[in-house]
Amino acid sequence: MTPIRSIRRELVLLLSLGLVALVAVAASATYLRARAEANELFDHQLRETAASLAGVPLTGVTMDGAPSAQDDELVLQVWDRNGVRIYLSRPQQVLPQFAQLGFNTIATEAGEWRVFSLLAGERVLQVAQPMRVRRELAASMALRTIVPLLAVVPLVALLVWFGIARGLRPLREVATAVAERSPRSLEPVAEAGLPAEIRPLVRALNGLLGRLDRAQGAQRAFIADAAHELRSPLTAVDLQAQLAERAASEAERKGALAALKLGLARATHLVEQLLALAREEPGVTDRPMAPVNLGDLARSVIAEYAAMAGERDIRFEFAAAHAVPGATVVTGDASGLRVLLGNLVDNALRYTPAGGRVGVDVSRDGAEVVLSVRDSGPGIAPDERLRVFDRFYRVATPATAGVPGSGLGLAIAKRVADRHDATIALGAGIGGPAGEGLGVTVRFAAAT
Amino acid sequence: MRILLAEDDPMIGAGVRQGLRQDGFTVDWVRDGQAATAALREHVHDLLLLDLGMPRVNGLDVLRAMRREGDARPVLILTARDAVADRVAGLDAGADDYLVKPFELSELSARLRALARRGAGRAAPKIVRGALEVDPAAHAVRLDGAPVVLSAREFALLHALAERPGAILSRAQLEEKLYGWNEEVESNAVEVHIHGLRRKLGADTIRNVRGVGWTLVPPGEAPA
Repeated sequence: MTPIRSIRRELVLLLSLGLVALVAVAASATYLRARAEANELFDHQLRETAASLAGVPLTGVTMDGAPSAQDDELVLQVWDRNGVRIYLSRPQQVLPQFAQLGFNTIATEAGEWRVFSLLAGERVLQVAQPMRVRRELAASMALRTIVPLLAVVPLVALLVWFGIARGLRPLREVATAVAERSPRSLEPVAEAGLPAEIRPLVRALNGLLGRLDRAQGAQRAFIADAAHELRSPLTAVDLQAQLAERAASEAERKGALAALKLGLARATHLVEQLLALAREEPGVTDRPMAPVNLGDLARSVIAEYAAMAGERDIRFEFAAAHAVPGATVVTGDASGLRVLLGNLVDNALRYTPAGGRVGVDVSRDGAEVVLSVRDSGPGIAPDERLRVFDRFYRVATPATAGVPGSGLGLAIAKRVADRHDATIALGAGIGGPAGEGLGVTVRFAAAT
Repeated sequence: MRILLAEDDPMIGAGVRQGLRQDGFTVDWVRDGQAATAALREHVHDLLLLDLGMPRVNGLDVLRAMRREGDARPVLILTARDAVADRVAGLDAGADDYLVKPFELSELSARLRALARRGAGRAAPKIVRGALEVDPAAHAVRLDGAPVVLSAREFALLHALAERPGAILSRAQLEEKLYGWNEEVESNAVEVHIHGLRRKLGADTIRNVRGVGWTLVPPGEAPA
């Protein structure tokens, strides 16, 4: 398991590292500056020492009594003009023969030395000091600077640790508020008093809750509608079952059972239509889109409904543009398109009175394939043509009162059309004796 | 008892009508709100059985309109929605009782009888007039404690006469109780059934007020 990232831990770590780096930079800067100053100071001291010794008569190689500052580890050498060493303050410190005048830094077995040579009359005076002394001084100065700074680092880290906890408290409060609400509650989280950093998150959350609430509302309305619509045929079936039970004669019982079967057929049809609608719900179907010849599909759907048309004495007319092969091919989901065609044809046959006509036409219009289903039924008044696409909406006129239906056919057709980016429109039909009829036109983008 | 059934669903309407007829009610069936309002104005029905989910004019509008016009007849609403809000809206609009679909026919009949009883100002399920006892639920009649067998129409006539003590009911009023809209009224059917009742209950039980109608004289009570 990967450890959970913590803003707090990361920030404290980052800040501490930054502070330590800062201290390191400060320390090295202090060290470099202190060394430069020490160089200047000790060089001055070397020169002064040499100058002050210039007049002192030093002779012979002695072992003691050298006027040297022990702390500074100064070493003094004196040569005569013949290059013979006549004085050495500390015999164990062997400096090389060196007579270049002025300041020099030289490497010896005992580390680097700083040497100042001075010509004083007949003699050469040489004062030397190890560089180590200067470095130690600089290091101790740098240390004195960074110790208090280093002490501040944990203090700052601690401050940041608690500061972030304090700053993130509103986030925790929002989390608690969201966690404690009931699963049904989709009310927005209060934005008032929230810091600017958390507000976008809460706003996005509220947006999501809002969308969820609306989706859930639509779902609830659909379930309430579906329950109501299902209850009617079930009530009818239930009544007929009770009547069959009560029936005093065989004829009565047969009548009740026949009515019961009709009611069951109605309930079954409604359930099938509800399932078809649910399947066409946006985001439910992921069946792939493929080339479908709408003309061929229409022909096979019409063949299925030929018997129903015959029973109702309705003349079926079918025409599909076949001048160009593939002229009526669209990109779509064949089973969805079959449902769409089936619902349109079923509606047309249902509402057209006996002896009427139903025409199905698939044609090519420029870049579009046009499907049209027209009938000679009662038609739909223009002011109702938009509402009939609502689920469970049924036109209430004397002409349609006796026609059984789920009120879902056109809603399903619309969903299928929407899924195919096709437009669906209602207009005039064939025009029979009962009125102008209904014409449903669906326009698809042609595949070729 | 004559009932106005307002129901748009053809299968439910047919089932309810048939069931209620079997239970001895006279039923007239309308399929939308407008027809229901028109039928109510005829004032021939004792009770309204109203579906709330009808097209065009919905059940609640019918109910409000009839109460606004001062029509106090009992109303039982049928609803396919089980949401409490729908039933509350129905009761608050003036309904007396409700049933949620689907329902038992026997319960529907019982509730209709209860509403009719309350509408007539009675609490007891049986109507007692002197030595005569009419039980609308069982369709049974007893005279001095002994059961009397009546035909359905005879029972309907006796029920109508017994329900309102002292009232004189005209031939038209009695015919309304006996026949729904599409049933053919047989000429002098009322006289035929009155004759039958007199034969079974005693000639003095039903008195004819010439030119006005008939009234029930409870056996064992002195004629007024």
